[in-house]
Amino acid sequence: MSALFSEIERQGREYRDYVVDTVFFGGGTPTVIPAQQLAAVLESIKKNFKVADNAEITIESNPGTMNTEMLEIYKRAGVNRLSIGVQSLDNRVLSALGRIHTAEVFRETYKAARNAGFHNINLDFMFSVPFLSEKLWEETLLEALHLRPEHLSFYSLQLEEGTEFYRMYREGTLEIADDETDRRMYHRAVDLLTKAGYLHYEISNAALPGFESRHNMKYWSFDDYLGLGLGASSFVCGRRFTNPSHLDEYAVLYGTSKKESSRRRLPFETAIPNTEADSVFEYIFTGLRRINGIELTDFRRRFGKDFADYYPHKVVYIKEMTEQGFLFFRNGRFGLTPAGIDISNGILSEFADPKTEFKEKIEK
Amino acid sequence: MSSYQDKIRNFSIIAHIDHGKSTLADRIIEKTGLVAQRDMKEQFLDNMDLERERGITIKLQTTRLVYHAKDGEEYIFNLIDTPGHVDFTYEVSRSLAACEGAVLIVDATQGVEAQTLANVYLALDENLEILPVLNKIDLASARPDDVKLEIEEIIGIDASHAPLISAKEGIGIEDVLEDIVKNIPAPQGDINGKLKALIFDSYYDSYKGVVIYSRIFDGRVKKGDIILLMNAKKRYEVTEVGYYAPGPVAVKELRAGEVGYICASIKQVRDAKVGDTITLDEDPADEPCAGYKNPQSMVYCGIYPAEGEKYETVKDALEKLQVNDAAFHFEPETSTALGFGFRCGFLGLLHMEIIVERLEREFDLAVITTSPSVIYKVVMNDGTIQMIQNPTNLPGVMEIDHIEEPIVKADIMIPKDYVGSIMELCQDRRGKMIHMEYITETRVQLHYEMPLNEVIYDFFDALKSKTRGYGSLDYEFVRYEKSNVVKLDVLLNKELVDAFSMIVHESKAASRGRFVCGKLKEIIPMHQFEVPIQAAIGQKVIARETVKAYRKDVIAKCYGGDISRKKKLLEKQKEGKKRMRQFGTVEVPQEAFTAVLKYDDNK
Repeated sequence: MSALFSEIERQGREYRDYVVDTVFFGGGTPTVIPAQQLAAVLESIKKNFKVADNAEITIESNPGTMNTEMLEIYKRAGVNRLSIGVQSLDNRVLSALGRIHTAEVFRETYKAARNAGFHNINLDFMFSVPFLSEKLWEETLLEALHLRPEHLSFYSLQLEEGTEFYRMYREGTLEIADDETDRRMYHRAVDLLTKAGYLHYEISNAALPGFESRHNMKYWSFDDYLGLGLGASSFVCGRRFTNPSHLDEYAVLYGTSKKESSRRRLPFETAIPNTEADSVFEYIFTGLRRINGIELTDFRRRFGKDFADYYPHKVVYIKEMTEQGFLFFRNGRFGLTPAGIDISNGILSEFADPKTEFKEKIEK
Repeated sequence: MSSYQDKIRNFSIIAHIDHGKSTLADRIIEKTGLVAQRDMKEQFLDNMDLERERGITIKLQTTRLVYHAKDGEEYIFNLIDTPGHVDFTYEVSRSLAACEGAVLIVDATQGVEAQTLANVYLALDENLEILPVLNKIDLASARPDDVKLEIEEIIGIDASHAPLISAKEGIGIEDVLEDIVKNIPAPQGDINGKLKALIFDSYYDSYKGVVIYSRIFDGRVKKGDIILLMNAKKRYEVTEVGYYAPGPVAVKELRAGEVGYICASIKQVRDAKVGDTITLDEDPADEPCAGYKNPQSMVYCGIYPAEGEKYETVKDALEKLQVNDAAFHFEPETSTALGFGFRCGFLGLLHMEIIVERLEREFDLAVITTSPSVIYKVVMNDGTIQMIQNPTNLPGVMEIDHIEEPIVKADIMIPKDYVGSIMELCQDRRGKMIHMEYITETRVQLHYEMPLNEVIYDFFDALKSKTRGYGSLDYEFVRYEKSNVVKLDVLLNKELVDAFSMIVHESKAASRGRFVCGKLKEIIPMHQFEVPIQAAIGQKVIARETVKAYRKDVIAKCYGGDISRKKKLLEKQKEGKKRMRQFGTVEVPQEAFTAVLKYDDNK
């Protein structure tokens, strides 16, 4: 903790010219530490950075890790948005996911949060998980919508190598929806949410108008963000860098012992700045996660050149994919259609090699 | 008076593949003290890396050695190495023609094999003295007495005094050397006669031009002579003569009975073809050496650069390979599927594989090869004849009277337990059995006539696989025969991909079509749309498969910490695509082209 405070001080000096308009406590369950301690961290951030008055300050949490008292402490400290990893409203699904909470616990947490005065709540849900039928998914969504959270995220289970689910999937013992069912569940969610007045604004996110997560939008808009704490990732001044994820290393890096820490170079200093091609590709593949896509004038403002200048070799591809209904060009915006979202990796990867002047020179 | 020729021994070593030919050559070189042991790369004569790796000799290398025999005399040994594969029969026969004798190595654990026999017959054709040697005598499984008996029964030469050796362990090498001195006849050329020399190999040297390996039968040749290549009818001025020991040693002249090299500012290997006869222009020999043949390509395939922009580089590489290989030729061709490339002719499948591997290894080029094809004789309605080696060029069915395909005589040697399954295989490959003989109680030789197109497809792999590696094969062209062959096309997403087209026998078309479609289905990745794969003869679809469209390829979460990782993921996906060939909107991985040609055990 003391290393975190010293990182906040140090980075606060570094970025004193920035106005911070969103703060996000995340990376799992930050609610497991004492609420007072978390409040102190926020306090320190406010002291060391220029935090805007109307900043969006979110805390990520799991049901059952918070009580009314804690919620009140967060509220008083300035947290104004709560994200709850409920995942499901069915206890069998929850237990298959290895969650410690039940649907009942979630309902209590939700009520407590509302009572504590949280008017901006996000609920995370998962689909394509064991025991979740299409019918159960629909019921889950309807019940969730009944609660009227301001924001809702819905993820399909990602099978990543090294995880238990991945191992089970390879062995054929994991019973989850096939790809087609998965996509039906996804589109069903989008339908229901849209009908209920939510704005589907990112591949896996929807919100009531005005409640889109300003913080997360930064990730998809190529804006700067600074990560503080163990293993936190940042994107500042065209550099991506990550804090050490080992506690000892982190503690030494930002440790209070001036002698030790001053000798070490910070991740920012050792980071390799993005090349022009890196930046263009990142802008595209993060930007295309937004349902209304990329604004071509914003692209030009950022890179000084038109989108088409970087992708002369993709003209035919883009044309074909647009004709086939995977991409759209509308009102100066370029984005993925619902069908395009389903196969977005293949499409996004096509933009991995923008033509930049630097590269052209080499080729000549 | 004893002539210098009495102390010369010109000989080859012949063997079945893997029976230890190169190892024995190494030992002989070592024993004669030519190369210090420490300077020796293993298997000295196989001088290409590829050969060393595959354990087969492709290109010949000839060396002059000096041996101090037990009789106190010094003998000159000209060891003429021969290539060890069925594709190079003609080259082997020319090398043998340059000798008076051959050391026949037989693996004492395996006995006589198909190639042993084939090589022995070649040697007998040249009236060579054959000295049998039993190798690998150090192995526990060696059974020299049985193998001796085999040699006597099958080949009909006396093997009772055959030295028992282990080339690997250096056992018995001296016996072989003494045997050579005693039993291989000395050459008996007429040094004062008209020059008559046989070209048995040549290679290209960037400084000297073509270096010819030659055996002088009569007369003599020296620098400044104007020589005539009797078959090519070309004249050159000799710039240098000498021998290899193993580096080049220039000498004043080469005389009858000797073996050495001749340089004459010849620019291409194909101008000094193996088997041609060298004589003096001003006083030519009455007739050339017998047995000259123009090497014929038996197998053709297209070679395309994997990356289109490498066309010129591939061309350069092919040209470099060609100057050194008279049997290989190529010409430019285009494919709608693969773009610009080359149609290449080879002596056989192994020859083809070697060239492709050399392109990849020595020139660091990635190439795509199309289905190998034999040459079909297409008799048109108007009686004209077209020789077709590219399926794409096959004229329309309506214009063709009939098609003839090349038939080979295939000699297959197998342990008797496999007779059933191999006869089945041969029958499946449209083979006609000529006869079958028991070589020994346990070994059988099958003689078949078989269409070459069945042999080049995957016959050898199938034979090896069905006999656990014990089967051996030797084949040679016999004639063209009328045959019901058809052109089988492959369509991806309804579009014909000419690079997959092949000519097959009508009876095989359906099963080949199914096999190819099935293979492609495994290899072609899912696309954003369904990809139908069809095999068709003309308009008629005879097999089909479908690669399903993928429904889901999307990253669910992408927040601050994920971006670098997801980016790598997408870049990897992009890289994967680069290794694909785009046909219309369908992406095909490069390995698809070779995969459809491979023998499939489970078939």
